[in-house]
Amino acid sequence: MIGQVKKPIKEVLGYLEGKRKIVIYGCGGCATLFQTGGEIEVNKMEKTLVENGKEVLAAIGVPFGEFSCYAPWAIKRIYGYREELKNCDAVLMLSCGDGLQVMREIIEKEFGLVKPIYPATNPMGHMGGGPGLFKEKCIQCGDCELGKVSGICPLTQCPKGLLNGPCGGVRKGGKCEVNPDMECAWVQIYRRLKELGELEKMDEILPPKDWSKTRRPRELEVEPLSPR
Amino acid sequence: MAQPFRKVLESGKFVVTAEIGPVKGTNIQKMIDDIELLKPEVDALNVTDNQSAVMKYPSLGGCLLIEERDGEPVLQVTCRDRNRLSIQADLLFAFSRGIENVLCITGDTLKTGDHPEAKPVYDIDSVQLIQLIHVLNSGRDLSGNELNGGVDFCIGAAATPSVNPVEPQLIKYKKKLKAGIDFVQTQAVYELDDLKKFVEHSRSIDKNVKILAGIVLLSGAGMAKWLNENIPGIFVPGNLIDELAEAPKGEGLSKGIEIAGGLIKKIKDEKICDGVHIMAIGREEKVIDILKAAGISGGEK
Repeated sequence: MIGQVKKPIKEVLGYLEGKRKIVIYGCGGCATLFQTGGEIEVNKMEKTLVENGKEVLAAIGVPFGEFSCYAPWAIKRIYGYREELKNCDAVLMLSCGDGLQVMREIIEKEFGLVKPIYPATNPMGHMGGGPGLFKEKCIQCGDCELGKVSGICPLTQCPKGLLNGPCGGVRKGGKCEVNPDMECAWVQIYRRLKELGELEKMDEILPPKDWSKTRRPRELEVEPLSPR
Repeated sequence: MAQPFRKVLESGKFVVTAEIGPVKGTNIQKMIDDIELLKPEVDALNVTDNQSAVMKYPSLGGCLLIEERDGEPVLQVTCRDRNRLSIQADLLFAFSRGIENVLCITGDTLKTGDHPEAKPVYDIDSVQLIQLIHVLNSGRDLSGNELNGGVDFCIGAAATPSVNPVEPQLIKYKKKLKAGIDFVQTQAVYELDDLKKFVEHSRSIDKNVKILAGIVLLSGAGMAKWLNENIPGIFVPGNLIDELAEAPKGEGLSKGIEIAGGLIKKIKDEKICDGVHIMAIGREEKVIDILKAAGISGGEK
């Protein structure tokens, strides 16, 4: 999931300065789980904007499970709002940057409209866990190393992303130099490999990472999933 | 000191290196004074590379100052601030200007430095950096392209003998040995038993690598406690803190010099390892007093 937090409302209102008629669009995916853009937050945002003198032409809450970054779903949902989009001064997205930019493209390509579109959310990256605490586990490097490091990713768990063992900064008891509350990623890997009886795996020198696989913007093409 | 460091390491003598800490700014006179003062007394001088993630005059610049004065510099290269292109380019420049020794280190966290908002690099790590230098030494760059004029670096690494748990550190150190190093300069050690264990471990894997024990000058009990609390991998034992605390007012630094000298003397007399690397951290001129306290003088070389 894409971890995210709400932007300060002051920043959001700043974007909307001079824009009166607003369309709000949420997300039934990550933004619902992180409570930044679910149906509840869309309704709250509508209220806040009205209180601040805006006219909300549409506050489009998206039911849980429907990702706003998935274009076929987003097109279907926004389709009935042509007039509101045409008449609005700005669109406010309560989603991550994927959702916002997918929606911008839909508005441009499907409706032929060029409208200001603003974020109400600060996305924090790929995270797993929940229901309360979510943690970054994977940096989506495009060449997964987990098979070599006992299922604990040092590129993510080590703030320095070291591939060949701990730095010299490990604190007493094996705590991380950068985040003393956290156990050093390589101490974790060491303990796990030891328990698995695979400590010899730690002797292998891993070569410099091929970061070209993370060169942005990345894209993927798959056979579209047929509707079920 | 004009003798190449590699030759000194091979000579079997007790090796002494010291550290020059660059200035923040361009007023390099103190660095030059320190270099002139220490050059006759030690076998090589390291220059730190944005140590503690505090932006300073570069290691490369400091090493040039040493080289221009017929000294023997050790270029410290961290993986924190440069990617693989930048590191290779710097190394080509260094070698072309007579800098032939490199210490490969990971680099302290940006978090506690003076630019905590910076983007850390760590494109390669310290083990991969050692491998990279071997590739350069073979006449090629990391992508396999031939160099027009090569390099021949003497390669050093860092190690942390006093840390708990020590095993993950030793496994990483084993990788450094496997990648191939000529010398190691350790983090500060005050517990000689830790050092002995480390030397034993190192020699059981590669008996040719020269081990220089890190000696950090303590200026008083306060500093010793601060190191224990704030610098991972350094452990000043209670008896040394007591000795410093019991020193008369204003004599803490003298006591620290005596302690450092005593450690060096013991390491040398008992042949615990191949030499020492003295880090006086801002008090470079005191290295002379430390060496006197250890019974070592420039003449001995």
